[in-house]
Amino acid sequence: MTAVLSRRVLASAFARSFLIQGSWNHKTMIGSGFAFAMLPALRVLFRDDATVMDAALRRHLEHFNAHPYLANVALGAVLRMEADGERPDDVRRFKTAVRGPLGGLGDALVWGAWLPAVSLAALTLLWLGVPAWVAVPLFLFVYNAGHVALRTWGFVTGLTGGRGVGRSLGAAALSRWTEKVRSVAGLLLGLFCGMALAGGGGLAEAGPVWAVLACAAFLGGHLAGHRLWRPTAVAVVAAVALLATWGWKP
Amino acid sequence: MELLLVSLLGGVLALDGTAVGQFMVSRPLVAGALTGWLLGTPAVGLAVGALLEAYLLVSFPSGGARYPEGATAAVVAVASAGAADPLGAVPLGLALGLVWGQIGGFTVSALRRLNAWLVPEADGPRPESLSAAHLGAIALDGLRGALLTAVGVVGGRWVVETLAQSWPLGPSDTRGLLLVGAAVSAGVLMRSLGGYRRRRILFLTGMALAVVGARLL
Repeated sequence: MTAVLSRRVLASAFARSFLIQGSWNHKTMIGSGFAFAMLPALRVLFRDDATVMDAALRRHLEHFNAHPYLANVALGAVLRMEADGERPDDVRRFKTAVRGPLGGLGDALVWGAWLPAVSLAALTLLWLGVPAWVAVPLFLFVYNAGHVALRTWGFVTGLTGGRGVGRSLGAAALSRWTEKVRSVAGLLLGLFCGMALAGGGGLAEAGPVWAVLACAAFLGGHLAGHRLWRPTAVAVVAAVALLATWGWKP
Repeated sequence: MELLLVSLLGGVLALDGTAVGQFMVSRPLVAGALTGWLLGTPAVGLAVGALLEAYLLVSFPSGGARYPEGATAAVVAVASAGAADPLGAVPLGLALGLVWGQIGGFTVSALRRLNAWLVPEADGPRPESLSAAHLGAIALDGLRGALLTAVGVVGGRWVVETLAQSWPLGPSDTRGLLLVGAAVSAGVLMRSLGGYRRRRILFLTGMALAVVGARLL
């Protein structure tokens, strides 16, 4: 049981989880970061036998990947499994089974919904004239309230559930949360686009041609998706470079 | 001294991108505001940071994908844009930020390849060197960010000082040009949020609120 692991060891593992992507690489992805977070617990659990400790460290150095925040679910659960003395093959199988879902759920919830929603809220506040010293710290506070809560929830849920953490994950209905946050982000995107179109310093003041072009650009982005982003960036850079050098006199 | 400070800021903020915490101080909005505050050009920092944020709304540090690095891009863009009159310096700063974001993405990929050599393998010798290798990789990432920022700021300031005064567009057209580019990102984001059909009621409600609010205020 996790009673073997003191609060201090668990706190150390949790703190180290913030560095889980520190040595991200194409071979083991966050495998080495996961082992780094496990290290204080492994040192306590296997302190009496160097050979067992070596084997435990090696099995956590293997390939692993998940969303960095939700990796805490796996971290907590694996800490519990190791403390319970479960077989190494079961620990390995568990890690293989959860990495896909934890990556997919986390990417959709955090990168695909939470971050854009909070970013849009901050940009809209700035456009409304809220001072930067309010909007920027507010962005960081709100974003990280969700971020740290998710990491903490994941760690505690994993630690409590152990290998049965899948049930807790299912009950948490993260996909439903993702959908709700995406809806809010949809509303905020509308607010932001409305401000850009009609707000002070927006496209209405730039002229109808720019407003029509922006609507066409929005439609293009919506239809083509991510593949249009890089060509757009290239086009903007090229346009700025051409305009700036047009009237340049050495 | 100023270059050293800005480079250090770039290095620290780059760490937040992936390696340490991901508290999102590396987002262009925050990185731009911090750089502007550090250099005494808060308005330029905010303008360039917010513009880059709008462009990079759909760029996230997700998995093994190569993505534009927002932190060093924003620091370079703001530090460069502060070197001349904002009318020409802001679009040039934004363009530099977009270019530097891509270069930052390449350096992140290169570091990840290097990390594969650095960290001990499960079936290799000396797994106990893990802590040193892991913390070493983090230090390298910080160094990468600082060097990338230093090179970008030196080159970027030269570009802005040379070209900003010949910027031919007025404030309205400049704003229009930059917002058209940002509108593509907004469209891409709409798609990734589920698409217009699925979000149209909330999207149009938000838009109507903004338009009515803008008319009333």
